Amino acid sequence: MAIRAVAAAPLIALLVTAGQQAIPPAVRYEQHVFAGGAAPLAGTLENPFKGDRRSVADGEKLFSAFNCDGCHSLGATGGQGPSLADGRWRYGGADGAIFHSIYYGRPRGMPAFGGVLPPDAIWKLVTYLQGLEPAADLSTTSW
Amino acid sequence: MTVSTLLVVLVVQRAAAGASEDQWPMPAKDYAATRYSALAQITVGNAKGLRAVWSFSTGVLAGHEGQPLVVHQTMYVVTPYPNVLYAFDLSQEGYPLKWKYRPNVDPAAIGMACCDVVNRGAFFANDRIVYNLLDGHTVAIAAATGREIWNTKVADVRQGETTPMAPFVVGDRVIVGTAGGEYGVRGWVKGLDLATGRVVWTAYNAGPDAEILARPETFRPFYDKGSGLGQTTWPPDGWKHGGAPVWGWLSYDAALDLFYYGTGNPAPYNADQRLGDNKWATSVLARRPGDGTLVWAYQFTPADNWDYDAVQEMILAELTVRGRRRRVLVHFDKNGFAYTIDRATGEVLVAQPYVTVNWAKRVDLTTGRPEVDSTKLTGASRGSVQDICPTLEGGKNQQPAAYSPRTGLFYVPTNNMCMDYHTTPVTYLAGTPFIGLNAPYKPGPGGNLGAVIAWDAGLGKKVWEIKEKYPVWSGALATAGGVVFYGTLDGWFKAVDAKTGSGLWKFKVGSGVVGNPITFTGADGKQYVAVYAGLGGDWALLAGDVRSDDPADVRPPASFMPDLARHTSLGGIVWLFAL
Ligand code: HEC
Repeated sequence: MAIRAVAAAPLIALLVTAGQQAIPPAVRYEQHVFAGGAAPLAGTLENPFKGDRRSVADGEKLFSAFNCDGCHSLGATGGQGPSLADGRWRYGGADGAIFHSIYYGRPRGMPAFGGVLPPDAIWKLVTYLQGLEPAADLSTTSW
Repeated sequence: MTVSTLLVVLVVQRAAAGASEDQWPMPAKDYAATRYSALAQITVGNAKGLRAVWSFSTGVLAGHEGQPLVVHQTMYVVTPYPNVLYAFDLSQEGYPLKWKYRPNVDPAAIGMACCDVVNRGAFFANDRIVYNLLDGHTVAIAAATGREIWNTKVADVRQGETTPMAPFVVGDRVIVGTAGGEYGVRGWVKGLDLATGRVVWTAYNAGPDAEILARPETFRPFYDKGSGLGQTTWPPDGWKHGGAPVWGWLSYDAALDLFYYGTGNPAPYNADQRLGDNKWATSVLARRPGDGTLVWAYQFTPADNWDYDAVQEMILAELTVRGRRRRVLVHFDKNGFAYTIDRATGEVLVAQPYVTVNWAKRVDLTTGRPEVDSTKLTGASRGSVQDICPTLEGGKNQQPAAYSPRTGLFYVPTNNMCMDYHTTPVTYLAGTPFIGLNAPYKPGPGGNLGAVIAWDAGLGKKVWEIKEKYPVWSGALATAGGVVFYGTLDGWFKAVDAKTGSGLWKFKVGSGVVGNPITFTGADGKQYVAVYAGLGGDWALLAGDVRSDDPADVRPPASFMPDLARHTSLGGIVWLFAL
């Protein structure tokens, strides 16, 4: 295997915002409704490779090398896991939300890759997925 | 006959006695897996008068493969994940629920089920309903009350093992297997005690003889003799993640005390990574239900290069082959050949293509091996290999055929597609797919993606064919009224003449049909036919945008089948029809 499992750096090291106490990373839908109207305090995870072309290419390779394509299909268009190429997200499309989906997994069948992939590799996957362009007329199908 | 086999036979006969023609107590109705009913009220003459008399939404959207059971005027329905079990009282107006059982199934199984979160049904035995939850548990539920009697963990979902198949009960043994050929599991079947759910034996399909339960004194294959084949036909340790899963239909011959099942593909898809025959993947195995002993095995596709699982049903029949009456099993393999095999010995008597086949020229009956066209061999080193027929969906997949002893014909739902096949090296990572494949499909000759055929298994010849626009993913039902029933992916449920294939009646059931029709006699003495609507299975992955319950999952249509979503979306409905 080309890319061998590397012990993941502690997630906490990635926190950009660090208050006095450890604030959990922000993981939420953009459209969340907040109790009392106030968002909970949270640190934000930001993709260090955002828009970087090399990272997109690396991410695409990782997407096959770590068998993501086996569940999400080639081009991430959807298999037993949902489409990741439609610009729509069950768990949010912000940097931190996608990172979280891959690092910790999601309950309905998304394995946690935090144990096999270092954070940099996960960010490259995030960069690749964010770079997939959804079709312009995605919301309407006609025959 | 030993005392214990005598007991087994007696128990089986008792169970069969309770299973009169009026009921449907097991997936294929009988141990021979015929899906044939002697009921004859619905005939070729009156089938056009069929009408829908009842329907029920299961509340679940995934692919409704499998079939209901009907026993003692109660109909039992298992849904896909989350595997709810409903019991309907057929003796009351409107068929109200008696009870429902709602298991707590691990949602991690959703990612580990390769091909939608399907369930292929339950088995009625000893006043209990036995079935598998997708997350690797087998349960026994009291038929009268819905109370859980036992719940046994048989498979490990974290390793990619899931359990979509229907269990098969013989005497006091519940036989279950694991899916996961796409996740590099090591396939097995287990025999559980019907009373307690305790695992009595485990038999792997590959690996050391001791673990596949092949003992020199009892293992008598017709072709591949010798010991250690489950190990020596693999690279060192290849069998440990070599697939050979079990997710199809079983049958049982009480006189021989053998049950038959097929195994799935060897893993991974890239054949370069597992040089050798890879026994006993893509094979039929004959075992003793009591202790799992392997008696014979035959491999349909040695060194499988095309994902040609062999899990399809082995239908038991007595046929005339070249002038001799033979007790055979008939199997329509994914690889496109229909096999007629002596079920006592494993000798192949007939092997002829039932769909378009080009990966092999023919099957040599003296060696049992296919004559492979070397230009169709695959593997990462060969890049993209073009135009292989049939596709990895198979000439037929899980959709079970039916056999009518009245016409002597097999009624077979089929796929008509070809593919390119491009594998890449892949690394085993527990709980993730062990596949590495890009295989675009295209329509087979004629352009129709599917067909239902009538097959003479003594001659190895097609008798008639009904072309269908889409792959026919529903099972078939044959009846003594001379009527054959099946459903289509675009949501038609159809009745045709068993002799000629001409259409008699059809009804639009609200979603594509991937389940299997059954028939029974109702409390009013009338013949009913039941079937699930509910598109899914492989088509949940391939059909494009047929799922509308998730705003965050919009998919492009499949290039070879761009318009299925025009005719159907997901949705699980149980239908009943009568005259
Ligand atoms: C075993 C199958 C499987 C594998 C392997 C897999 N996924 Fe997933 N993935 C899923 C499923 C199923 C979901 C949906 C989970 C849920 O809704 O709870 C999902 C969800 C996701 C999501 C969240 C999608 C959303 O709409 O919010 C992302 C992002 C994701 N996967 C990326 C990946 C990446 C990157 C890889 C490889 C490192 C990968 N997946 C490997 C099955 C898988």
